[in-house]
Amino acid sequence: MAGIIDLVGRAGIGPHEAADWSRRQELMTDLRSVRGRAYPRVIGLAREPSWVLFEILLPFLATAAFVFVYRAIGAPQEYVGFVVLGGALTAFWLNVIWMMANQLYWEKSQGNLELYFAAPMHFMSILFGMAIGGIVMSTTRAATVLLIAGLVFGVTFSVDQWALLLGVFLLTLAALYGLGMVLASLFLVWGREAWHMGQMLTEPVYFVSGLNFPVARLGFLGALSVAFIPLATGLDAMRQLAFTDAAFPLGTPDPLLEVAILTVMTVVSILAARWMLITMERRARRDGRLSIRWQ
Amino acid sequence: MAVSATSAPVPAPARFDFAKAEGNGIRDFLRTFAVAVRLGWQLEANWTDPLLFFIYSVAKPVSSALILVVMLEVIGGPSGRAFRPFVVVGSALWSFVVSGIAGLAFSILEDRERFRMLKYVYVSPSDFLTVLVGRGVARVGVGLAGAAITVAVGVVVLGVPFDLGSVNWPLFVTVFLLGLWSIVAVGLLMAGVVIQTRQESWSYPEAFAGALFLVAGAVFPLAVLPALVQVIGLLTPLSWWIAGIREALFPGGPGSIGGAGSVFAGAFGHAQPGPLEIVLALMATGAIATLGAVAVFRVSDRRAKQAGLYDRTTGS
Repeated sequence: MAGIIDLVGRAGIGPHEAADWSRRQELMTDLRSVRGRAYPRVIGLAREPSWVLFEILLPFLATAAFVFVYRAIGAPQEYVGFVVLGGALTAFWLNVIWMMANQLYWEKSQGNLELYFAAPMHFMSILFGMAIGGIVMSTTRAATVLLIAGLVFGVTFSVDQWALLLGVFLLTLAALYGLGMVLASLFLVWGREAWHMGQMLTEPVYFVSGLNFPVARLGFLGALSVAFIPLATGLDAMRQLAFTDAAFPLGTPDPLLEVAILTVMTVVSILAARWMLITMERRARRDGRLSIRWQ
Repeated sequence: MAVSATSAPVPAPARFDFAKAEGNGIRDFLRTFAVAVRLGWQLEANWTDPLLFFIYSVAKPVSSALILVVMLEVIGGPSGRAFRPFVVVGSALWSFVVSGIAGLAFSILEDRERFRMLKYVYVSPSDFLTVLVGRGVARVGVGLAGAAITVAVGVVVLGVPFDLGSVNWPLFVTVFLLGLWSIVAVGLLMAGVVIQTRQESWSYPEAFAGALFLVAGAVFPLAVLPALVQVIGLLTPLSWWIAGIREALFPGGPGSIGGAGSVFAGAFGHAQPGPLEIVLALMATGAIATLGAVAVFRVSDRRAKQAGLYDRTTGS
């Protein structure tokens, strides 16, 4: 009788909980899921070389355009460095918006989403896999922009605290991809609005984040950005650490305070992403709407 | 009653009427185009109310202009404001360019990867190129609205001096139409490219436009570029289009082509191109770009049919 009740009871829980596995089996399955989801993004880099032209070289030229704007108006050389650093970080932001936030919506359109829900793994594994694959993709682009621009435009970095700079960079990535995980669930619910939200989150966010200029110049708007947008916080902290002898407007927090802000952003966004996924999964099994395409 | 096999007339086997698929010339062309435009507009705009759609459509170009305006303020302060009309008009026009270039490519990607209708559209009697261009018109329209609003924001909020009475309207209309043709040609080129590439090609049109942004003189004069890059810019129709629109809207104002020490000045012996030179250069470079784009699209189309790419979906 108890066996029948167990069997009937299983219908109400997800495949991950229903699988009668040990902790180790669950962990290994989740890790395999992370690897499996990251795999197409990493291996895809070698499969279709056209991305080198369209995702590295051409965006580099767009970054170069802003360098020439500064040159046209006779800006000091450190501003060229600002543009280059901003151009490198846009690789991660674009990846977060288009290949994290929009991804679940596209997976739904392609019919993969229901497979994820039906598989006996935690959904966070999928998001972590997407993030790891995306970080690998974007790092190649960011590093290329930094390297080529550094050579072509003679950008010199003046760094006193390498460890802190590296830490800020890693925390910025964590906060950015954490935000991407949150947006992934939101965009899925928003449906067709997702594409337009993606557009809204590019240039407008570049502007309020001070992508090509010190964010302190935006006053209160800049302060709000540093408090809530990881791109703005990370970029400002990295600029302060990578151009220590540059004269640019002050007014933003010390890098250590920005490290604290990024840490809070990371923790909050990952917890929020987890909560939203659980809510979404419950909703998916309750009313079945998340498997309906093109809404 | 027995019926002999030969008593009832045997119906002739149904034959496919090729005339039905050949269409009625210009009438079918116009009908296909109109349906494609309507479909493109519905796909683009029917997901929300007009106000939200308007906000989404103008936020991006206005933000692009604001980035440049703040860059000018940071460096030049009040003296940098003289350069403001140049960057506001340039960035507004560029948002239109990006929309136009992306329109055709996105039609391919949406229909192939998302709606999975591309193969059906392709085998329908409608001309495929007409459908593509029609689908792209909606994005061109949205881009045009974004550009106009950006200029309006520049005039009303940012103090860009603009006098409707001084606009050279014949030049404006001529250059605008010729430029639109060139933008569609570049869009066709990108459509030919994304037929061959994978789902992540969504970012390719914008990346390509970003590269053209460097050589088109949208937000800085070409003269600040190295000589070789200036030559590439002079061979690009979009450079002449932007220069022509600027000359039409702000006659006698600072232009993006020419200037002391520029390749143009060295080659032609005078500092800046006149309106007639701009129109002629735009026609010549636009014609070359169109021929090149059509050739690339045709080669891509043939290869896609051979390799079965119209039926392919990808992901990562």
